[in-house]
Amino acid sequence: MKATSENSPKSNRSRARAFREYFSGVPLLGWLAGGLVAVLLERFLGTPLAHLLGLPKVPVLFGCVIILKKPLLIPGTVIYLLLVYVLPVGIVARLCGSVINRLVSWLFNLSPTFSVIVHLCLLYGLLSIWSGISAYRLLTLKLTLIAVIVTLSLNIINGYMGEFSCSHPGFMALGAYSASVVTLLLFVDDRVFGAALLPEALGPFMFPVALIGGGIVAAVGAIAIAIPSFRTRGDYLAIISLAFMFIVKSMIENLEIVGGPRGLSSQPNYVNLPTLFLWTVAAVWIINNFVRSVLGKALNAVRDDEMAADAMTVNTRRTKFVAFLFGAFWAGVAGGLLAHVLRYVNPGTFGIQKLAEVLAMVYFGGLNSVYGSIVGAVGYSLLSEALRPLELFKWIIIPLLLILVMIFRPTGLIAFKEFNVMNLIRPKGKPIREESTSKGGVLIRS
Amino acid sequence: MKKSLVLIVSCLIIGVLLLPFGCGEKVKPIKIGINAPMTGDIPKVGEGTKFAAQMWLEDIQASGGLEVGGKKYPVELVIEDNESKAESAVKANTKLITEDEVLAIVGPQSSKQAVPAGGVANNYQTPMISPWSTNPNTTKDRPYVFRGCFLDPFQGPVLANFIKEEFGYSKAAVLYDVASDYPKGLAEFFKQAWENLYGPGSVVAFESFTTKDADFSSQLTKINRSGAEVLFTPQYYNEVALIVQQAHELGWNKPIVGSDSWGSAETVKLCGKDCYGLFFSTHYAAAGATGATKAFIDRYNKKHGYIPDDVAALTWDSLRIVQEAIQSSGQLTGNVAKDRQSVRNALARIKEFDGITGKMTFTEEGDPIKCAVIVRISDKGEFEFYKSVCP
Repeated sequence: MKATSENSPKSNRSRARAFREYFSGVPLLGWLAGGLVAVLLERFLGTPLAHLLGLPKVPVLFGCVIILKKPLLIPGTVIYLLLVYVLPVGIVARLCGSVINRLVSWLFNLSPTFSVIVHLCLLYGLLSIWSGISAYRLLTLKLTLIAVIVTLSLNIINGYMGEFSCSHPGFMALGAYSASVVTLLLFVDDRVFGAALLPEALGPFMFPVALIGGGIVAAVGAIAIAIPSFRTRGDYLAIISLAFMFIVKSMIENLEIVGGPRGLSSQPNYVNLPTLFLWTVAAVWIINNFVRSVLGKALNAVRDDEMAADAMTVNTRRTKFVAFLFGAFWAGVAGGLLAHVLRYVNPGTFGIQKLAEVLAMVYFGGLNSVYGSIVGAVGYSLLSEALRPLELFKWIIIPLLLILVMIFRPTGLIAFKEFNVMNLIRPKGKPIREESTSKGGVLIRS
Repeated sequence: MKKSLVLIVSCLIIGVLLLPFGCGEKVKPIKIGINAPMTGDIPKVGEGTKFAAQMWLEDIQASGGLEVGGKKYPVELVIEDNESKAESAVKANTKLITEDEVLAIVGPQSSKQAVPAGGVANNYQTPMISPWSTNPNTTKDRPYVFRGCFLDPFQGPVLANFIKEEFGYSKAAVLYDVASDYPKGLAEFFKQAWENLYGPGSVVAFESFTTKDADFSSQLTKINRSGAEVLFTPQYYNEVALIVQQAHELGWNKPIVGSDSWGSAETVKLCGKDCYGLFFSTHYAAAGATGATKAFIDRYNKKHGYIPDDVAALTWDSLRIVQEAIQSSGQLTGNVAKDRQSVRNALARIKEFDGITGKMTFTEEGDPIKCAVIVRISDKGEFEFYKSVCP
């Protein structure tokens, strides 16, 4: 491998390929281990190192905020990132690659499920140590995870089903309000609903029920769109769903019992990182299974040609119906989580601005792809957080990026790609690829 | 691989060479966070906040820093954009408190951001003053959260009493935005106060519309027919212009009365002659101001080319209150958590603070007791002081 990297022609592309190949033998577990080492390093040595480099604090969000606010600190920040993130991850991943590969294949042969659990535990450890350093990181991470769920749920409708639905903020609002009403009514003494009806200690255990309830309410709301709109096609669904969003917003604004435009506040603080991580994993897992199931394939068939799908005995109406309700359900769950992270909801949050944000995440990441949704949600959330110091220019840069993505990759960064967990956790003997190397849209070999 | 190694090493060397530029810290500065809507729906509000804050900073810098306990500290402002969104306001507050380690926060301005952001500030025990938020939930049960303006339950009766005394009318109409927190709240408080004066049914038309509506003819026609003698509309500047102009086109020639949301520099610009001679209640009056208020207005006008609206004035006052609290807290220990506690205690102790928007004393809840000002829009389009109403 070394030979190829040195003898290759000096074009950037081949250099990038050589670089990729250099790390190609590293399985996912290796990267996670490297990341874990990096965050542990930051945890114990981060603050002294940052002070040594002249930084006021450990750079949150990979130093973007520092770089944009105080350009003089760029060298220190870059060195910090190199020393704490890039080098440890690279070194650990490369040096321990073969050992970890053996470990991974042993794990894989033992039981793939167990292997997945090990990966998830490592990922959770990584995230929790990373976010343990500052509350701001933790909040950003939480909102990013929620964005992942929302984006996935919209991708079911806009990507896999190929319709253009604008009602997602409406579903989120339904979920957020239902879950908030349940928790406020039952477990909290508050001003809107009075004393708690059940002992407070039960709250965290009943919270999943409240969330699922929120999801179900959102799904019921989705029926209201599904029935009239599935008689029509294309643009009409967009219009009907947009109308639905406004109906939900106005309805809540006029419902004095849930606070009207003033909103509901003082939700209990149930959504800690483990809870949210579990919900996100569940959402990714369930949605991924859904889109890879027979129903998911039928959905794709309906998108590509409804008539042909009908001829192939696909029950198109039922397929669309189920998918739409399924997407709405997860949007409702995400809304419930959002309400309990912010601990405040008001109808104004779920308007056009939210819609634009969610749509941007879906189309930025890629249609018809669980990978794409994750990349889109994480990328967009972190980018918009990192660029915040630019104020107005942020709203020039982000749309510009979106336009560029639409020009060069019209379906999004990583579109039409299956998220195959088994391939992801497999030991890497031969060059396959890592998550970020999406170019060319290589399908995973199984 | 060699090449990339060389690249990394050279990066490190260059970085180390450039390092001295980044260093150099002397006395730990006092940091004040500003959480303002620089982008989003109401950028003008963010702009006013920022300008007022910068003027305040200039004053502090001109005097060589903030003197606390016999020691001068440099002051730093950390301005965060909350994009006029609830989530962003929460994120911005968390960042200000945990990352920038500010001593106190001024902002966010509108209630939809101030309510959740106030929760964050209270959780982290950081004093916060929202200059402009009128939602009672912002400060309720939150010992660390204060506000710089009077509340709607006070403003509603002030206006009702003013109309009674000034015109002696007994039939009023109300036109308000049902989807917006502030107009809706105030419209209801006004209705309640009016009915306390004249009994049920005296508000002859209680009409609503939704944010971003631009045509009010059907509501105004109803109001015209209802026999109302005065129209009250607690709307923001862009809607005020539309409502007043359309009302005049439909033949309404009786007075129209507004609330503090009228007090923007844009109101007269958009509304023109139609608004001349109308009354509204607000925090301060720009035309005919005297003393410190006039000095502030002139300075702001000279620097930025327009008369500051109430947001700027309230932000200025909030910053001055924070300044006074820091100075009267006695001494800074350098431990942010402790200093925040003592600043919060000093804030709660403040009595009869002499601001440019009036004298203020904080109640238990962190809401100020202060006077409202009735302003008349003069024939030159200036906001003229008419009378002052105190609680």
